[in-house]
Amino acid sequence: MRRFRWSAWTLLILLFSGFVLPLFLAGDPREPVASPFARPAWVGRNQAPALAFSVPPGEGKAFAWSWDAPRGLSVSGEVEFAGVPGSARLTWEKPSGEILVLADLSGQETATLDLDARDMAFRAALGLSPFDESLEGLFGGRGTIRVRIDSDVPVEKSSLSVRIPGDRWGLFGTDQRGRDVFRLFLAGIRVSLLVGVMAVLVSTVIGLSAGLLGGYVGGVVDALLMRAVDVLLSIPLLPILMVLAALWGKGLWQLVLILGLFSWMGTARTVRSMTLSFREAPYVEALRAIGAPTFYILARHGVPTVLPLLLANIALGVPGVILSEAALAYLGLSDPRVISWGRMLHEAQSFGAFTTGAWWLLLPPGLGIALLCFVFMDLGRALEEWADPRLKGGGGA
Amino acid sequence: MISMRGYWARRLGGAVCVVAIVLVANFFLFRLMPGDPVSTVLDPRFSPQAKAELEVLYGLDRPLAVQFLIYLERTATFDFGLSFATQRPVLDEILSRLPNTLALLVPAYLLSVLLGTVLGVLAARRRGRAAEKAVLSAGAISFSFPSFFVQMVLLLLFAYVYPVFPLRGSLSIPPPQGTWPLLVDRVWHLALPVGSLVLLGFGGWALTVRNLVVKVMGEDFMVLARAKGIGERRLFWGHAFRAVLPPLVTLFLLSLPGVVSGAVLTETVFSLHGVGRFLLDSVLGQDYPAAGGAFYLLTLITVASNLVADFLVQFTDPRIRTGERSSS
Repeated sequence: MRRFRWSAWTLLILLFSGFVLPLFLAGDPREPVASPFARPAWVGRNQAPALAFSVPPGEGKAFAWSWDAPRGLSVSGEVEFAGVPGSARLTWEKPSGEILVLADLSGQETATLDLDARDMAFRAALGLSPFDESLEGLFGGRGTIRVRIDSDVPVEKSSLSVRIPGDRWGLFGTDQRGRDVFRLFLAGIRVSLLVGVMAVLVSTVIGLSAGLLGGYVGGVVDALLMRAVDVLLSIPLLPILMVLAALWGKGLWQLVLILGLFSWMGTARTVRSMTLSFREAPYVEALRAIGAPTFYILARHGVPTVLPLLLANIALGVPGVILSEAALAYLGLSDPRVISWGRMLHEAQSFGAFTTGAWWLLLPPGLGIALLCFVFMDLGRALEEWADPRLKGGGGA
Repeated sequence: MISMRGYWARRLGGAVCVVAIVLVANFFLFRLMPGDPVSTVLDPRFSPQAKAELEVLYGLDRPLAVQFLIYLERTATFDFGLSFATQRPVLDEILSRLPNTLALLVPAYLLSVLLGTVLGVLAARRRGRAAEKAVLSAGAISFSFPSFFVQMVLLLLFAYVYPVFPLRGSLSIPPPQGTWPLLVDRVWHLALPVGSLVLLGFGGWALTVRNLVVKVMGEDFMVLARAKGIGERRLFWGHAFRAVLPPLVTLFLLSLPGVVSGAVLTETVFSLHGVGRFLLDSVLGQDYPAAGGAFYLLTLITVASNLVADFLVQFTDPRIRTGERSSS
């Protein structure tokens, strides 16, 4: 490996963004940050941005609006008047000049407001359609919008604030609960890497032991082990994983164990065939002749012999496990509290990514899985070449 | 002749072995689950009397060995009991879904093998051309992209952005009248699932075919055949392809379990009414008789098709018929 592979760089970047980057980002990725199904900011140029401002006494707040009407709006806070107002209203001036009354505050010295555009009564009072998602009736075009408290008594204090959650957000938009898809994507790196690598380590330990034992001891042990490999290879993998995940629990460690238990067959075969020729090597015969115990021969000489190819096998085994984990999570057989790429795809399918056309819920996790698989396949190939330099630049594949 | 019998004894023994292990695993797995089966069907507020009655109904009051024998007898007659969810026999539920699964898998698998073989041969014969590059990249995609993700993207593209195909289901609701409209409706619903499976499946297949053919073309016997002056066409189909067939059939065999796994995912993505989705729904809904039955039947189908494929290998590999051991 004279040349540093692209895959190694990519893996470093992925490790950084999965484990280090989230430490510097504020907030919990599970918290909503914008409207549900907000588009990525770089495609939704006409979508409403997130906006939050307070409404001061007097002139109120005016702001320029040059986007499509948003889908959400909330007003909350308290207003204190100098006395009991005979007439007090919170008004909303549309770009067209038309004035709407958001709330009537008459007759209260202090009024507490908690309005949300999802509230049917609020919508009805404003004459908005209860079915239409966007607040076209409040915005209706581009221009200046003014929100102010209009009363016959001066306003003493106002903590009113208006929030528009925004219909575009960040790099990858938001999901059905308004969570930042980019943050979820970063969290997913961790699960895929951890589960993939840990499960492959489990399967490598099993496969290495089975392969060494079967290849070196031979006889009945070998026959039984290889029979077990054949049996496991002829049972459909996903159904048995599904059944086990459902019965044993959906936790990460159970998943690692289940995946490891059902993916050691290839390693066992490779190690076994290498051990068969290792057993016949003259130096091994010499070891036997001077009475070295089998365990010593295997641990001290067998493992180092198979190690280089084993490393390649580990790297090449990760994609399969990552894909299996993603498939299980996609089918809904993963811990719902753990964010993973498979889980993101599951939620995209279950919560209407297809009926809203929310492609930004599909592409990041799916391409992330594929990228991780490509990285490990390339690493595996590099390790293979390192272990067996004849493969380098070979004519075939 | 004797070794022929030995070959079949080994194959049949292997198949019986798999079925036996699945049977035992099925029995114990579904009894090891958290809580006993009765407590999962029953409300905890049920009277102890009702609980005891149910235990008798499911045979849980007898010793484990007797339970196992009863279980074996029932499984042999495909009696998997009643589904907790629908209270209908599990076998009926599965059989009503089986045609849908077969209509999905059989055409998809045959088409991808056919397409893969043709493209693989093309890629091997015209190395460095567009066909080879296409095969190489299609193979890489099929190995590293999650199949269900590719299918979801296709679904989004061709059912939402360009609504050419239906978003879900195996048939329109209500189904059209008449044989022909019904058939057309079925094909229309299956086009995307089958098409996506072919798209995902042919790459890996083509890559293997290409690698095998490329390897065989460099063997000594090919050099000899060429030196004898055999025509290029006969050289390829008569010698090279002939030598590639046995490993291909073996690969076909080995990929069958993966096809069944693919059915679960495909039926979930496209909301098809099939056995794979039935297994998923029963697993998620803790419908243990249904999950056990579906899992057992899926394995049985895999093992049976393995045997059929084994039977086919002997036509491609004369060494099996004459009883010689293969050298590799």
